[in-house]
Amino acid sequence: MNRARILAVASKEWREILRDRLFFTMAFGVPLLIMLVLGYGLSLDVENIPFAVVDRDRSELSRDYVHQFSDSRYFDLLGYARDERELARLLADSRIRLGLVIPDRFQERLQGDRPVEVQALIDGMFPYRAQTTKGYLAAIHAELNRELLVEFLGRTRGMTPERAAERVAPVRLEQRYLFNQALESDWSMASGLMMLVLMVSPPFLTALGVVREKESGSIYNIYASTVTRGEFILGKLIPYVGVSCFNILVLWWVATRIFGAPFKGDPLFFYLASVVYVICTAGIGLLVSILVRTQVAAVLLTMVITFIPSMLYSGLLVPVESMSREAQLQAHLFPPFWYLQIAWGSFLKGLGWERLWSQTALLAGYAAVLWTLGLSLFHKRPKR
Amino acid sequence: MRLWLRRLRVMTAKELLQLSRDPVLLIILAWFFTAEIYIAGSGISMSLKHASVTVVDLDQSEASRELVARFRQPHFDVRETGFSSRAAAAMLDRGERMLLLEIPPGFERDLEAGRAVEVQLQADTTNTVLGTLATSYAAQIVGRYATDRALDELGIGDLQLAAMPRIEERRRVWYNPNQVDPWFMSISELMTVITMLSLMLPAAAAVREKERGTIEQLAVSPLTPFQILFPKVIAMTLAILAGTAVALFGILLPVFEVPVKGSLPFFFAVTALYALAVSGLGLFIATLSRNLGQVSMLVIVVLMPMLLLSGAWTPPEAMPWLLRRLMVISPLYWFIELGYGILLKGAGLEVLWDSVLGLAVLGSLLFAFGVFRFRRQFG
Repeated sequence: MNRARILAVASKEWREILRDRLFFTMAFGVPLLIMLVLGYGLSLDVENIPFAVVDRDRSELSRDYVHQFSDSRYFDLLGYARDERELARLLADSRIRLGLVIPDRFQERLQGDRPVEVQALIDGMFPYRAQTTKGYLAAIHAELNRELLVEFLGRTRGMTPERAAERVAPVRLEQRYLFNQALESDWSMASGLMMLVLMVSPPFLTALGVVREKESGSIYNIYASTVTRGEFILGKLIPYVGVSCFNILVLWWVATRIFGAPFKGDPLFFYLASVVYVICTAGIGLLVSILVRTQVAAVLLTMVITFIPSMLYSGLLVPVESMSREAQLQAHLFPPFWYLQIAWGSFLKGLGWERLWSQTALLAGYAAVLWTLGLSLFHKRPKR
Repeated sequence: MRLWLRRLRVMTAKELLQLSRDPVLLIILAWFFTAEIYIAGSGISMSLKHASVTVVDLDQSEASRELVARFRQPHFDVRETGFSSRAAAAMLDRGERMLLLEIPPGFERDLEAGRAVEVQLQADTTNTVLGTLATSYAAQIVGRYATDRALDELGIGDLQLAAMPRIEERRRVWYNPNQVDPWFMSISELMTVITMLSLMLPAAAAVREKERGTIEQLAVSPLTPFQILFPKVIAMTLAILAGTAVALFGILLPVFEVPVKGSLPFFFAVTALYALAVSGLGLFIATLSRNLGQVSMLVIVVLMPMLLLSGAWTPPEAMPWLLRRLMVISPLYWFIELGYGILLKGAGLEVLWDSVLGLAVLGSLLFAFGVFRFRRQFG
């Protein structure tokens, strides 16, 4: 390894990046842009569920009942429908996610101390949303029934409202959310998005950097030169890793300042762990670039390897705990899973080196394997 | 006109031939439409399963045990019952347990005396999905326990219930009654794959000609810009449709048993329309860039927000108002409604015509814009 030659390759690469204005802007701009757009928009909260009502009773009570839904932030009243056929049509068109059918004599029966049956039609297309909607429905109905019962007991058994309320709901659940007190999905999202962005952008940069030379043929200059393969790859990748290391800071700034995610951990440790992660993901790009010949294939292969693991197997959107055993195993094989623990641990839980060292060591090991593999597979004498 | 068609046909054949001669690319395509969809559909679920609970039972009574017993599989998994809140909280901190349920001393005594008691639930909500579901289920369980208990204490049985004002909920979940995750996940993944490819492939095919200089040859040929660009789109769309067919008949139907309620030809027609629309966007990207490095960067910029914000993986209703409105310009937004509408909901053109129209208008605008930019560059 000759330092001068590594630096020569690195400075050549850096100059190339600088001279491709669009590429240069995007190498810094893309991570930032993705972070901003997704951080602002991506949310797993189930709120504003559009719903419609068929009100066969059209009484004061039935309107109050509908208000229980439309006044909450979870539901958003689209309007009244004529009949169930129209509800079905709205559901099929995805205009509403919930349809309520209030039977006739709703008010009359309730005031006459009789039970009534309300029909709820839920769009099951998205199981998570359907399950959460079911939960909201149950909660609203439970509360309404408690109120009805309190009023009933007051009327028939002469209990005071306070006393009745206590008798009707003898056990209350006090909930406390740890680490993310407001159940702000923004906080989890912003810190988790660092994982996503840093998984996607470094491999693209590195893979394209190497494959571009292969496709345009300029790599033959390297093949014919005195630069060894190790020097070439190191020199080639240093600028890209450098760009990503700078991007870590920008992303961290966006997560904490713009999205207001609390950072409770050790900044230095988190930065170093992130650098390890970037080196690791850049190694993925390196490996891709060795396997393929054309840039199209490089881009697509990088998408395959980075998008799905970081979106689905990292734990950001889909909880790893509820995957099948095989899928859990798979999740543990990808670096994003480990880095997400570091990111969430550092941001939300205030954990530091002593608790997250094993994840970091794993990432480092991963990086070492990828780079060794990349170095040994890259040949200056191509077989073709 | 016949000459025009023939030129189109020849160029399309050329594109298909070019595609078929890149073996790595073909393998990746095959992987996308089979393994990728299988992986996403089989293992991934967004439901609460076996959430680990640690219980601190400071009462050790029949009543407290009955409450704990209601935290059952498959949603919850009570790992142990301890006496030390400190030790339990430490476990939560270390991430070994997700939930901590604490029952105060004197729980049963207070209940019997008719005093309201409070039990505490602490939840690790780092993961929003699990946090939301776990707290909602726990609230339901405790709520039901409280109601059962209250009715029991008040001596109200089933018979008396019929003479009380109550709202009973009859709920039905349509289209996916048991909330089978693979149905949703595999269709979402199929749409993701279609989007990625129809954005990337035509853009790459167009810019590759630029990068290698073969575009000059095409520019001096008697072909119009439309005749140069459109065959690329046709060829890629054909490849994508073939892939979709493989995914649908090879994975979705036999493996995940997705119930197809609507008409398959309609679905394929919509997919073709969608692929054309997204290709237009891809061509537009190709005109902006000079090499594939730039193309792929721009593709990521467009692709990631499109995939993650259009509703393929997250419920779109909770997004900020502005972004929800902006998503109308994302072709995927329309395609999601159409795809699920046709496959799961069995909706036809009479219900979905507005989405089809939206997609068609958006697609032709994007496509026309792409061709227009291209003509300006090479006309």
